[in-house]
Amino acid sequence: MLSPEEFRRTYPEATLLEELPDRPIASLRDIQYLYGTLYTLATTGGGTYAPYLTPDAAGDLVDEPDSLIVVRVDISGDVPVLASDSQGPVWVTKYTEELIPKVAHCKYPAARGIDHSVTHQAGKNSDPDKLARYAKERLSKWAADSVVQSTAEDHEDGWIIDALAELGENEDTIETLEREVRSNLSGSTTALLTVQVKLDADGPYLWPGDLDVAMAAMRSRKLSKLISKGKASNSAGEATDLITGARTRTVGTAQDPLNYFLGKQLEKFPGFDPDQAWRTHPISEDAAITLMNAETFIDACSYRTFGARVYYLPYFFGKPSVEDTYLLYGILYDTVMQDAEERGLTPIETVYQRREDDAIDDNKLRFYVSAVMPHQMSRFDVFGETMNGRIQYPASLAAAHRDALRTAAFKNDGERTAALPRDENWPLLSDGGLLGLVASGSYFYQTFSTGDDDTDASADDPRIQALVSVLSGDSIPVSTLLESYVDRIIDESGDDEYGFPFFRVASQYAQLCALATAEHDFLEAAGKQRPISEPPSYESRTMPKIEEPITDGGFAGAEKLESFIEDTPALATNDERCASFLLGALVGAVGSYQEYKHDRSTTLVDQFPVQAVTRNRIKKVTESAIEKTITYTRQEKKGNASYPGTKFDYIVDRLRETVIQPDPDDWEIDTADLRFYYALGLTYGMNDRPLGSSIESEQPNPTAN
Amino acid sequence: MTQQTLTEWNDTQNESGTAGPPRCLSLTVRGPWGHFRRVEGNIVKQTYRIIPRTTVAGLLAAVLGIERDGYYELFARGRSAIAIEPVAPLRTVNMPVNTLSTADESMKSLNPRGKISIKLPDPTKPRQQHNYEVLVDPAYRLYVWMSDSHWFETLHETLDEGKSHYVPSLGLSEYLAEITYHGRFEVESGPTDTAVAVDSAVPNAVDHVVPDAESRCQIEESPAFMTVDGGGRTTTDFTSYTYNPDAGPVRVRNPDTAIVDGNTVMFV
Repeated sequence: MLSPEEFRRTYPEATLLEELPDRPIASLRDIQYLYGTLYTLATTGGGTYAPYLTPDAAGDLVDEPDSLIVVRVDISGDVPVLASDSQGPVWVTKYTEELIPKVAHCKYPAARGIDHSVTHQAGKNSDPDKLARYAKERLSKWAADSVVQSTAEDHEDGWIIDALAELGENEDTIETLEREVRSNLSGSTTALLTVQVKLDADGPYLWPGDLDVAMAAMRSRKLSKLISKGKASNSAGEATDLITGARTRTVGTAQDPLNYFLGKQLEKFPGFDPDQAWRTHPISEDAAITLMNAETFIDACSYRTFGARVYYLPYFFGKPSVEDTYLLYGILYDTVMQDAEERGLTPIETVYQRREDDAIDDNKLRFYVSAVMPHQMSRFDVFGETMNGRIQYPASLAAAHRDALRTAAFKNDGERTAALPRDENWPLLSDGGLLGLVASGSYFYQTFSTGDDDTDASADDPRIQALVSVLSGDSIPVSTLLESYVDRIIDESGDDEYGFPFFRVASQYAQLCALATAEHDFLEAAGKQRPISEPPSYESRTMPKIEEPITDGGFAGAEKLESFIEDTPALATNDERCASFLLGALVGAVGSYQEYKHDRSTTLVDQFPVQAVTRNRIKKVTESAIEKTITYTRQEKKGNASYPGTKFDYIVDRLRETVIQPDPDDWEIDTADLRFYYALGLTYGMNDRPLGSSIESEQPNPTAN
Repeated sequence: MTQQTLTEWNDTQNESGTAGPPRCLSLTVRGPWGHFRRVEGNIVKQTYRIIPRTTVAGLLAAVLGIERDGYYELFARGRSAIAIEPVAPLRTVNMPVNTLSTADESMKSLNPRGKISIKLPDPTKPRQQHNYEVLVDPAYRLYVWMSDSHWFETLHETLDEGKSHYVPSLGLSEYLAEITYHGRFEVESGPTDTAVAVDSAVPNAVDHVVPDAESRCQIEESPAFMTVDGGGRTTTDFTSYTYNPDAGPVRVRNPDTAIVDGNTVMFV
């Protein structure tokens, strides 16, 4: 494939302009058509047969040992025979870059059936028996195929095909081929199988690429699939090509690289006839072939996540201009190359890396985004789709997430831990590669509930909906987010080995902050949940403050709690939510205390898991937690500890104020809302401690009050 | 009212053929659900966001009581003009639907020897579930003109009386549509200044749309005109619509707009 620089040199402005569609990009088909055009230009170049070839289909085989098996046929005499020269009837060699145009491979993209070209690609690591069968089928099956035969009838060199077919009928030939393939191969291999033909007694053995009749037959075979497939035998008719708008012969069963349009389907519309498919989906032959050639680019611009395939197809808004097309080609080329190197960068990341060098107009660059869930080969669903994906959306979210991790919520001040923990092993709690996480869908895979099936998403899977919403600039309902978060927390809380999913909740909260803070409105909330969608105002910390005296004898733990609540609109404006959070913070703090000071393996955190907390039970949980705190206070005071009031009174006092009034029995807060903020409180309480060994006490300074 | 001849209408059109007709009827169609199957997919059941022009023609033909394949000429290019304005945000959900095969061989005849025989999918066969992408609470204000004054008047009268020959629906027969008729309006030519905020979906002017980081704009291409031949019907032309999914205006440079009842719209 041409590099972007070679592409620009090979197709200067005027030349490229002639190749580009004259209409604005308005549908998935238009994007596929443009990709197919660029791919053909970049790989096979010009010529009658170029758009029909698939030079990349066997790209993996180039320069591999035993990757090309050539059946050699001499038809210079009266009767066609297998080659008897020193190279023999079967030549096993290496498929090289130079041989690509000679071998002229045209793959048929279905699991069954032979390739369109006489050259055929065997499956991975085929054994010699299978390869022997494929070798003889070059003669007995391909040459005898009805479409190939009818091409031969009309072609002046049709006798070549006839000779091959004749040889294919000879039992002795077949046996010789089988024996030769087995003796030339040491074992299984992945290979292309092709045919070389000698036409004149003193002439050379010619490759399929040298034989017009072989190429013409290949072309006919490929074209025949555009009108006959499955139950359709001749789906073609005069109509308006939906890509070029030209009134022309159109075909109804063309291959679509995304497989949105296949054979007959169960439908709500009665009377669909596969032979009439060209009426509903009219595509000219040329356009259909071009669409098929988009496959390499489209595959590179896709990614598997949640069992679905997510496509991000970059394009420029409007009619393709020459300059934009050079840029687009560069993006596609980079994505293909990165895909090959298995770096697996999504096109969004590729574009992001290029956009400064290439001065890409962010407003014009769009992505077609869709998530496709296959159920069977010919039945699948599209869960989310947009033509309007933009680089700004995921980029702004990634930036907002990074910024959130740099605020007081996640960064300590040198005295006391931050409100919530960070951890380099948790992708959403460390700095690297956030854009990749957002673009790939992993961003929501980390935080949302896994659904009934861990790997595969369902139609209403919130993970896919959230992914497509973010990529297309839509908003996600806060209630969906909280429910999904809580389901995930409850799922993981059941795990005895790891206990409460501390880092999971912190990851979820970082995401919630990022969604609320990002430049676009990614969150949608009504009523009392609206403050959750408002950006928090945590102080940003580029680095922890090392030595700052505690102001006026205040207690760092109390101050931290107060400022966290004040800076979090969701907590500051709603007492019920704030009480849930404070209760979590108390249970978390007592739990940590039990674990570290008393070495208890079952703590208050295990006693009151997230699923145990509801509006009805919160009062009882609060009473138990406060009771436990008083018990430990007594114990400590017996052990000569001296401080006024009770342990954790900076939490308890606030909690009393909020839980007692109004009575939780009259609360209106949604259960998921309550539980998420309780879980956030747990995480806060478990994480909250002074830093450094010099600070012993976790209680207010006894002399301060 | 006198019938405007085709020539007159053609004279009023400029190069792009999108200038307004002399007058039009205006109605709003809305419903709890809608599904306008996209031509790119049969495996997947995606919907257009903007009701396609051909669907509008079919819907109005249903109101008028014109049979299938009987109304394409009435709504042909040059003989009709339609502008479509989404008046509610264009939101979709995936709705799982159990389907039975509607292929000929799977259709069962009911009362096959009787005078009236109908065919229906065999209900004893297993269902297959598909997700249909369905529009939620779609609502479009339509602006319609036809050169055929008889049908134009009939449509006006039928809508004015709140009647409809067949039951109007939004794409599928089970997604019933509610029609509000606003009346007959004069069409004035609209502004063609540098950048105009257009309320309707913007037909065939993608390159004139001013991309705006603040408001979202999307694009889709759907069938616009149809014709009938011996074996069935085919689409003769497609229209690409640029639209704001939040049902706000789209800014367009030098557009051919019309003003109807205070709204800036573009006809096709």
